Amino acid sequence: MTYPTKLPRGGVDPPAETLVPRDSGITNAAVPSRALIPLLQHSGKPALCLVKPGDRVKEGMLIGNADGSRSANVHATIPGIVVEVGEHCLPTGEVCTAVAIELGGEFETSGKPRSRREWESLSRLDLLERIRRAGVVGLGGGSIPTHLKLAIPPGSASSIFVANGVESEPSICADDALLREKPSDIMEGLRICQALLTPARTVIALGEQSEDLVPEFERLVRQKGIKADVAVLPSRYPHGHEQLVLAALGSRSPAGEQSATVLNVATLYAIFEAVILDKPLIERVLTVTGSPVSHPRNLKVRFGMGVRDLLEECGGLSSGAAKIVMGGPMRGVSVDSLDLPVTKVTSGIVAFEGLAARPHAELPCIRCGSCIEACPWNLVPTRLFKLVRIGAAAAAEREGLSSCTECGCCAYSCPSRIPLVAVLRQGKHALRGSDA
Amino acid sequence: MTWLVGLCLLPAAGWGVFLFGTPALIVLAVSIAAAILAELASTLPFGRFTLRDGSAFLTGFIVGLLMPAGAPACVPAAASAFAILVVKQSFGGLGRNWMNPAMGGVVFALLSWPGPMSQWIAPKGGAVQGAVMPPLEALRAAMAGPGAKETTPLAILSSSGFTFSDLDSQVLGWINTHVFSPMGISLPPGTFDVLIGHVAGGIGIVSVPLLMLGAWFLLFRGIIRWHLPVMYLGTFAILAAVFGGLGSGNGWFAGGPGFHLFSGSLVLGAFFVAPDPVTSPMTNKGKCIFGIGLGTLTFFLRFFGSLGDGVAASIVLGNCAAPLLDRWTSRRVTGTQGGAA
Ligand code: SF4
Ligand code: SF4
Repeated sequence: MTYPTKLPRGGVDPPAETLVPRDSGITNAAVPSRALIPLLQHSGKPALCLVKPGDRVKEGMLIGNADGSRSANVHATIPGIVVEVGEHCLPTGEVCTAVAIELGGEFETSGKPRSRREWESLSRLDLLERIRRAGVVGLGGGSIPTHLKLAIPPGSASSIFVANGVESEPSICADDALLREKPSDIMEGLRICQALLTPARTVIALGEQSEDLVPEFERLVRQKGIKADVAVLPSRYPHGHEQLVLAALGSRSPAGEQSATVLNVATLYAIFEAVILDKPLIERVLTVTGSPVSHPRNLKVRFGMGVRDLLEECGGLSSGAAKIVMGGPMRGVSVDSLDLPVTKVTSGIVAFEGLAARPHAELPCIRCGSCIEACPWNLVPTRLFKLVRIGAAAAAEREGLSSCTECGCCAYSCPSRIPLVAVLRQGKHALRGSDA
Repeated sequence: MTWLVGLCLLPAAGWGVFLFGTPALIVLAVSIAAAILAELASTLPFGRFTLRDGSAFLTGFIVGLLMPAGAPACVPAAASAFAILVVKQSFGGLGRNWMNPAMGGVVFALLSWPGPMSQWIAPKGGAVQGAVMPPLEALRAAMAGPGAKETTPLAILSSSGFTFSDLDSQVLGWINTHVFSPMGISLPPGTFDVLIGHVAGGIGIVSVPLLMLGAWFLLFRGIIRWHLPVMYLGTFAILAAVFGGLGSGNGWFAGGPGFHLFSGSLVLGAFFVAPDPVTSPMTNKGKCIFGIGLGTLTFFLRFFGSLGDGVAASIVLGNCAAPLLDRWTSRRVTGTQGGAA
């Protein structure tokens, strides 16, 4: 066991509403009767559509082909008939092509044991190809196609590799559930990454709520003969972010340098499934929570399932629900339609009651400095915000605007309820506009 | 938030009204009313209504608390109006003013009406009726004259003929005989009066214990952070202890910091005024430097200056430096090499 060398500063402690009972495990969500599968579920270019309405698809069949290397494959998550291929809105507001599949036909793979494939004799390229083919992307929030993160120049080695089990948002506990349910498979995924990266140091970083798993993981490390340390990091938001995890472990990753690699534990599990079980990424574990949800829980959900169906699975919503957010309570996006589908980037669905969702009037900035204290990136949010408001986005950029990760800590802690993140985001848009 | 700060000042204000009676109530009412009217007059024509944020009320309240109870009504009225109209609104209102409005107003009044600003009223049950002075002012008068030989502020006061209340001598007499005489110590006369604030002075600043009660609540609720007040009071106390005796010919280490901490508006200034977010630095490091600076300024102004007790004037001076401290103390952006600003 290793200990964090430097506790990152900043961040906020929202009331930790762990409504999901500990040890409630992972429930398999029902197979949706219709899945709406967007071809952009990762950061990069959308996949190219391979199907047309009327086509019959099998479970796990490739329906979107990665468009170049900065893209990821997309697979059918249910068997059935393609009923529509058209433009649809994503929760983020982007519009992209999505494939609607109506359930029908046989399940050829689900529920049947899969044979394990041997991987240790495979070459690096073959391993990467298996991961790429399965459409694996970062499930911790970044959603960068994973083969990009694992492809390091031949002959080089990564200085540190971190298996990140620190939850990315408060109230979300899907990673913790997966760590409890599939520790051995996650470790197998970790070994595959070690083979690809040959890191000098490997750390399994757990959040505080998973602290009791330390002995289990240390046992697995010994049993599999892996060279890795287990560390417990504070779960303060947003310290699950990969740069802050690296900082806490005493390593910085200067922009552009590829020597540190961080992968979320859910991604490691997806790598395990892709390489060893030959199973494409068609489902993920996510947390459905919030006080209006009757039975908050962690569910394994197929991509394309609608938010409405998913909430039904959790016993529906009480009448008090006023706002539904996809993602976590801090960075999630409020949805205006319950028909939006779950995608690879959806780490959770959070429902809020009336009071918590009520908008507040914005007051003037009183220069209290709370936002400065809260920003984990040492920015001065109030200054950036004032610069953006007066149209000086370029000046804000010189003071670090582009380092802002939109974590939301500043706005969360602002007593004047200034929508700092929204304004900073506008500033970034303005910058991009002036570049083009 | 602002309302809560006002609430925390209520006990001390209540004590002032109790001690000085109706005149104190009138001064408070006039200064608050003037601040609110000035705020209305300067915002309503522009279609804004800003009373709800409480800042105009608090400005008027603090101006009133710093006034002597006997001040004629026009003085607090003018000070509040100056605070709101000139110091705050001419810069664009809440959040844009670089100087603390209440302190600006008080300094304005001190400069304009030094006479009315020392119309003290004797506290209820005090020894002398008529011409009274707060201990701090009396001390300065005594030290200005020749022949102050005693070593502590309270002893100087006693020998210069300053009298304390009967209550003071009764309480101290009892404590000295029953508690301290076995240990060979004896508390000088005046200790009790100065400690609980049973003296003449500004309406809301005489009772340090009640101010501390409110301050403790603000700290506890996280409305103010400890950096600034601790640095401020600490710096001042050290300077007063080391150099405070020099002026009265007592040499080093004879300043009587305790007396000075409990006199004048130091505690009110350190906990309720200087941490005003608008006019103090935003970073913790900046707040510390700011506090040290204020402590030093207050020391010099109080011991070698003439503008009241030095607190209001030093906060006004310190405010000028706050934006600069923000620039100097901003941190390197995580994951980059250069400076943040
Ligand atoms: S949203 Fe940006 S500016 Fe605000 S705290 Fe997060 S990183 Fe800092
Ligand atoms: S937290 Fe809000 S009010 Fe305080 S300095 Fe930052 S932007 Fe201004």
